[in-house]
Amino acid sequence: MVEVEGVVTRFGAQTVHDGVSFSIGRGTLVGLIGGSGTGKSVLLREIIGLQRPTAGRLRLFGTDMWSAPAPEVDAVRRRFGMMFQDGALFSSLSVAQNVAVPLREHTQLSGSTIDALVALRLQQAGLPPDAGAKRPSELSGGMRKRAAIARAIALEPEVLFLDEPTSGLDPITARGFDRLVRSLVDDLGLTVFLVTHDLDTLLGVVDRLIVLARGRVLADGTVAQVMALDDAWIREYFCVRRMGGDGS
Amino acid sequence: MSDTRWFALQPQDERATLRLSGAWRLQHLAEIEVALAGLSLPAAARIDGSGLTSIDSAAALVLLRALPTAQDAAAWVGLSEANGRIVDKVRSHLGSVLSVAPPRPPGALAALGHRALDLGSLIGGHVNFFGATVLAFAQALRHPLRLRWRELTVQLEQTGLMAIPVVSLVTLLIGVVITYLLGLQAEKYGANIFVVDGVGIGATREFAPIIVAVIVAGRTGAAFTAQLGSMRLTEETDAIRTLGLSPMQVLVVPRVLALMVVLPLLVFVGDVMSLAGAMAIAGPMLDVTPSAFLARLHETLDVRHVFVGLAKAPVFALVIAVIGCRMGMTVGRDTRALGAATTSTVVQSIVAVILLDAVFAVVMEALDL
Repeated sequence: MVEVEGVVTRFGAQTVHDGVSFSIGRGTLVGLIGGSGTGKSVLLREIIGLQRPTAGRLRLFGTDMWSAPAPEVDAVRRRFGMMFQDGALFSSLSVAQNVAVPLREHTQLSGSTIDALVALRLQQAGLPPDAGAKRPSELSGGMRKRAAIARAIALEPEVLFLDEPTSGLDPITARGFDRLVRSLVDDLGLTVFLVTHDLDTLLGVVDRLIVLARGRVLADGTVAQVMALDDAWIREYFCVRRMGGDGS
Repeated sequence: MSDTRWFALQPQDERATLRLSGAWRLQHLAEIEVALAGLSLPAAARIDGSGLTSIDSAAALVLLRALPTAQDAAAWVGLSEANGRIVDKVRSHLGSVLSVAPPRPPGALAALGHRALDLGSLIGGHVNFFGATVLAFAQALRHPLRLRWRELTVQLEQTGLMAIPVVSLVTLLIGVVITYLLGLQAEKYGANIFVVDGVGIGATREFAPIIVAVIVAGRTGAAFTAQLGSMRLTEETDAIRTLGLSPMQVLVVPRVLALMVVLPLLVFVGDVMSLAGAMAIAGPMLDVTPSAFLARLHETLDVRHVFVGLAKAPVFALVIAVIGCRMGMTVGRDTRALGAATTSTVVQSIVAVILLDAVFAVVMEALDL
């Protein structure tokens, strides 16, 4: 569904990606980690066609986002959802209106069906029904992220991209969010690709982990496989947990 | 009537089975919705999902809403495991899905009442903020070292020096226009030289202060709101407070003080430029040479008119700065609110300036100034 092939990204003299390649199949929950400045978010923006890589090929559902004609790219845009780090909800609209935007723009459904669908999306994202009438500025951080998820899944996307879904959330809310993401994969058959720093998310729900370091893919596999690798950065990354917060 | 590419009803009796087929996905949902609307299903009917290649939650919702029979899990047969999970999930959400009603918008009378109350609290808030500003001033007077001199000079430059070109251009043109209009009338009576009397008083006493204050309201008042408002959005004002400083001292006092110092100076620039504009057109149009213009001006323009015009400026400045700062300091925490507050600052400032000017006209008349 997502193919990344030899992507190179340079900002001036600084090389962020130096030949990044991987591909993601249907129905998996893939996590992307890497130190600060390794271009995780940049890679995500490149995959969804917001930013152009210096070289390399990126394909979503087999469509190259940078060379395909505009109608094809638009069709692809309807097949994935993206949740930005701070939600990026439209602040002039209520939460329900935010969720309704893609439905009104891209479907010919009747008003009452859209209302029911919006309510369903809010439910699926784990929001109480009365949250729909609120403005994004009236929501807590966790609720805002859930509202952003509700908007991202409004059009039944096949792939969902999440940028740091649990950053800034308390552990309880964050674990609830992990379960939500997992249930989207298991119950709705979505493919989820998330950028995260949250070790608990990685250990708890991720099927596959891709590690970005020094401009390349350093490791790619299940969490256990990645943790077993002999690399200084990976050792340090996971050592906090190994030193044994969780009593094992 | 009931067979479509999405479903078929067979056999057509009490024990009917609705066979679903194809991919029930959001792209085709509008079509499916229309097809379902024409379907009536006997209560004991079964729904066979074995022909479904896939169903998404939106399609499941539409189906469950259209067919009450489908809400009973026992009516379903032949669903694949993945599709069954989706239908079950949606069914479990259905109860609350049906009960969300948006709040009704208020009626016209209620809206009028809200507006009136909002206006009242807005003005009350301005008065309150004005009081806080005066207190902060008093503190700054007692401890002059606490005044932010650096911020003050930056504001003096931005609100004063940088505004000179636009103020000059606009007042110059206003001087030209007023002289031209007065001149058209005066010429008929051969009263060319009296145009100088009119322009002299009109420009220095009314036009220059008003025009300059309106320009500054749009330029500087809006800037104050945008600056302080975005600082509030990024929690910088909270940080200032946490560091033991007062946002009133650090942000508001330098801005208000700077504008009160600068606006009279800008009005003086406006006086000079509007008279220069008048002089420039008086020569070719009315045969009043620059030297005759200046001599007549010196003879007839009582200097108190100039002082009245200049005296209004600090008051206008105070009002513009207080409104601009207050709207910025109280902006709501979202991007839309910042834009609305900035627009509101400009409108409020201009209205306040013109109202105050009317008050000045009445009071000055009563004082024989």
